[in-house]
Amino acid sequence: MKDFHFQSISKRINLYGLMGILMLLMFWELSARWIWQDIQVLPSPIQCMDMAWQVLTAQELVIHIAASLSRILIGFTFAAVIGVSLGIAVGWYQYLGLAFKPILELLRPIPPLAWIPMAIVWFGLGEPSKWFVIFLGSFFPIFTNAWRGMVGIPPVILRAAQTMDAEGFELLLKVAIPAALPDIATGLRVAFGLAFGILVAAELIASDSGLGYMIMQSRETSRLGVAIFGILLIGFLSMLADDILARLMKKFVSRGRY
Amino acid sequence: MANSSTNKINLNNVYKKFITDPENMQPVLGDVSLQIEENEFVVLLGRSGCGKTTLLNIVAGLEIATSGKVQVDGIDVTGPGRGKGMVFQQGALFPWLNAEQNIQFAARKQGLNVEQSKELSRKLLLLVGLAGAEKKYPIELSGGMQQRVAIARALALDPQILLMDEPFGALDELTRIEMQNELLRVWSLKQKTVVFVTHSIWEGLMLADRIIVLAPRPGRIVLEKKIDRQRPRKRSDPMLIELYEEIWTSLQ
Amino acid sequence: MNNKIKSLLIPLIVLTVFLLSWELASFWGYLKPTRFPAPSKLLMSFLDLTFSGYPADVTIDQHLLKTIERIIIGFLLSVCLGVPLGLLIGGFQALDRLTSTIIAFCRSIATLSLLPLAIVWFGTGEQSKIFLIAYGCFWVMLSNVIEAVKQVDPLMMKAAKTMDTDGIELFLKVVLPSALPRIFSGMRISLGVGFMVIVGAEMIGTVIGLGSLIMEARTFYRTDITMVGMLILGLMGFLMTTGLAWVEKKLMPWQQQVHDRTSP
Repeated sequence: MKDFHFQSISKRINLYGLMGILMLLMFWELSARWIWQDIQVLPSPIQCMDMAWQVLTAQELVIHIAASLSRILIGFTFAAVIGVSLGIAVGWYQYLGLAFKPILELLRPIPPLAWIPMAIVWFGLGEPSKWFVIFLGSFFPIFTNAWRGMVGIPPVILRAAQTMDAEGFELLLKVAIPAALPDIATGLRVAFGLAFGILVAAELIASDSGLGYMIMQSRETSRLGVAIFGILLIGFLSMLADDILARLMKKFVSRGRY
Repeated sequence: MANSSTNKINLNNVYKKFITDPENMQPVLGDVSLQIEENEFVVLLGRSGCGKTTLLNIVAGLEIATSGKVQVDGIDVTGPGRGKGMVFQQGALFPWLNAEQNIQFAARKQGLNVEQSKELSRKLLLLVGLAGAEKKYPIELSGGMQQRVAIARALALDPQILLMDEPFGALDELTRIEMQNELLRVWSLKQKTVVFVTHSIWEGLMLADRIIVLAPRPGRIVLEKKIDRQRPRKRSDPMLIELYEEIWTSLQ
Repeated sequence: MNNKIKSLLIPLIVLTVFLLSWELASFWGYLKPTRFPAPSKLLMSFLDLTFSGYPADVTIDQHLLKTIERIIIGFLLSVCLGVPLGLLIGGFQALDRLTSTIIAFCRSIATLSLLPLAIVWFGTGEQSKIFLIAYGCFWVMLSNVIEAVKQVDPLMMKAAKTMDTDGIELFLKVVLPSALPRIFSGMRISLGVGFMVIVGAEMIGTVIGLGSLIMEARTFYRTDITMVGMLILGLMGFLMTTGLAWVEKKLMPWQQQVHDRTSP
C-alpha cells in the first residue's frame, strides 16, 4: 500500500499544483496589501523579500544555512550509521534484541526535543548538543525501520537461499540486508524529514547561529518578513532534500516498492 | 415493444475500443453479437485479453460499448445495477460489514425493511450452505465461504441476470470443484439467467448450457457450442472430452 | 507459555540490572549528581513534584494537565478542519491536483519555525501554543484523509454500483467506511506530531507545562527534575500510542492498522 508520504515530492509538482501555488501567492499578496495593511503583522510576499533583502547579506545567509545543514548532516550521519547497524544486528541476532530492546523502548517514546535540556547539561551550549539532539531524533525511526525490515523478510526467501548453500554471514550480507533495504531506506528518509524539524526547534531555543536562530532574531528586530522568508526557505530546503533522497533511493534501492 | 423480446440478453454488433489505444491497435471487442435466453447458463471462455471480462462489464453496465446494441429484457443498458447482479473474482464483500449485513445491504436496496432483509439474509445464507455464519466478518471467512456470501448477496437483489467474473479463479482446485457444484445446486433452486466468465475449459464444460469461445485481437466469437447433457456431468463423458478437444483447438 | 514468561522476564531483568548499576555508579561517585542523577533521587524528586511542586508550587499533575490540554485542543481543531477538507479534496480529482503541491509544501514547513510568527499573531499566551499544535497536526491529518479516500478499493465501488448504489449514498455507505481505518491511523499519527510539537513550544514563554518544566529545571541545575519530566513525557507518549491503537482495534476489528514509521 502506498503511503502518501513516500511518493517523491517532485511527482506532486504538476501544472495544476503550480497554478494552485500561484493562486495562493496572489491571494496572500492582495489580502496583505488591502486587508491587513500592517507590515508588522502580515507582510505580503513581495514585502517579505524586500525586508529579507535589506536585512540579510548574502554572506550572513550562507553562514546560517551552512550552520544548519552541517548540524543536520553530522547528527543524521551518526544516527544513520549507528541506527542501521544496530537495527540490522538486533533484527538478525534475536538474543541481542532481548538485551537492547528494553532500554531502547524506554527511551523511544520520549520526544526528541525533550532531550534538549539534558543535551545542554551534558554537552554545553555549543555544536555537540545540537548534534546529540538531532542524533536522538533521527536514530529511532532509522533503528525501528531497519529492525522491522530485517524481521519482516519473508522466511521463504531465506530458505531458498539456504537451499543454495548460503549461510551465516554470507546469508546476512547477500540476502537478508538487500531484502530489508527498502524498509531501511524508508527509515532514513523519514528520519531526515524529522531531523529538519528538530534542528529548527533546537536552533530557536538554544543557539546563536543557523536558520532557526535567524528566524528568532527577526522577531526581536521586528522584521517579520525575514522570519517568513526563513520559514519558507527551511520548508523549501526540506522538500528539496527529501526529493533528492527519494530519487537516490529509487535509483539504488528498489524498483518495485516506490 | 422491443423486437428481440424473447431474449433475456441481446448483444448486437458490440464494438469496444479504448480511447487510449493507439490507432493501429485492434479493438478489445470487434463486432460481437450474442443472444442469451431466459434462465440459460452461458459461459464465456477464452484466454486473458480476449475481451470476455470487458464484454461482461458491458452487459453489467460498468463499461459502455463504443458502438453496438446492448439490451437486457429489451431495454438498453445504460448503467450498472437495476437487476444486473454481479459476482467478482475477489468477492468484493464490504470488510466492515459481517456476512449478514453484506447481504442486507443488497436486500435493503430492493426496498425491504430491516426485518425482511434480515430474514432474507438468513434464508440466502442457508441456501448457500453458510447457516450460522451470519455474524462473521469477511476477514474471518475462507475464500470459498466469501464467494458463497458474494453469491448470496447478488441473489438478494433478486436480479434479472447474474453475471459472474471468474468467481472461483482465486480458489484452490478442490474448493473450486466444490463451489461449481454448489453453484449448480443453487441455480437449480433459483432459476436465473447466468453469464459466467472463465478461462478454464473444464469449468465451462461442467457448468454451461452453451459455451461461447472468444479470441483476442480483435475480440470476437470463434466458437459456440450447446451442451445437451444433464448435470452433474462427468469428466469421463466422451462427448465432453470431444468438446474439450474442439474448444482447445479453437483456442490455438 | 514458556516463551511469554521469557519475553516478559528478560526485559525486566535487563532493566533492573541497568537501574541497579546506575544507582551504584552514582552512589560510588562515578556519576556527577548534576549530570546523572541517581534513580533514587529521581524517585524522590518525583514525589516532591507531586506534593510541593516546581517551580513556584506548580505540581506535576498541573504541568501534565496543561500540556495535555494544549495538545488535545490543537488536535481537535486540526481534526475538525482536516477531516471534512480532506474528504472533499480526496473526493474530487481536480481539487486534489490543484492542492497537492501546496499541501506537500506546507507539510514540509517545520512547525516550530512558526513560533516567532505565532507569538506576533497570538501573543505569548495559550493561543500561540495551540495554534502551533493545530498547524502541525492539521497538515498530517489532511494528507492522511486525502490518501484514505483516494485509496478506497475500486472493486468495492464497482460492487456497490452493481447494487444500485451511487452518488452521495455511495460516498456515505461505501467510501467513508472503507476510508475510516486509514483516517483513524492518520489521527494517531497526527496526535503523535502534536505531542512532539508541544514539547518545543512549551520551552519558550511559559512556566506551566512539561516542556517548560524540564527547561526551567535545567537553568537551576535541577537535572533530576528534568529527567523526571522526560520520563513522564515518555510514558505519556507510550500511553497515547498504545491507547489509540487499542481504540482503533475495538472500533474496527476487521482492519489492519497502518504503521506509523516514525514511532513503534
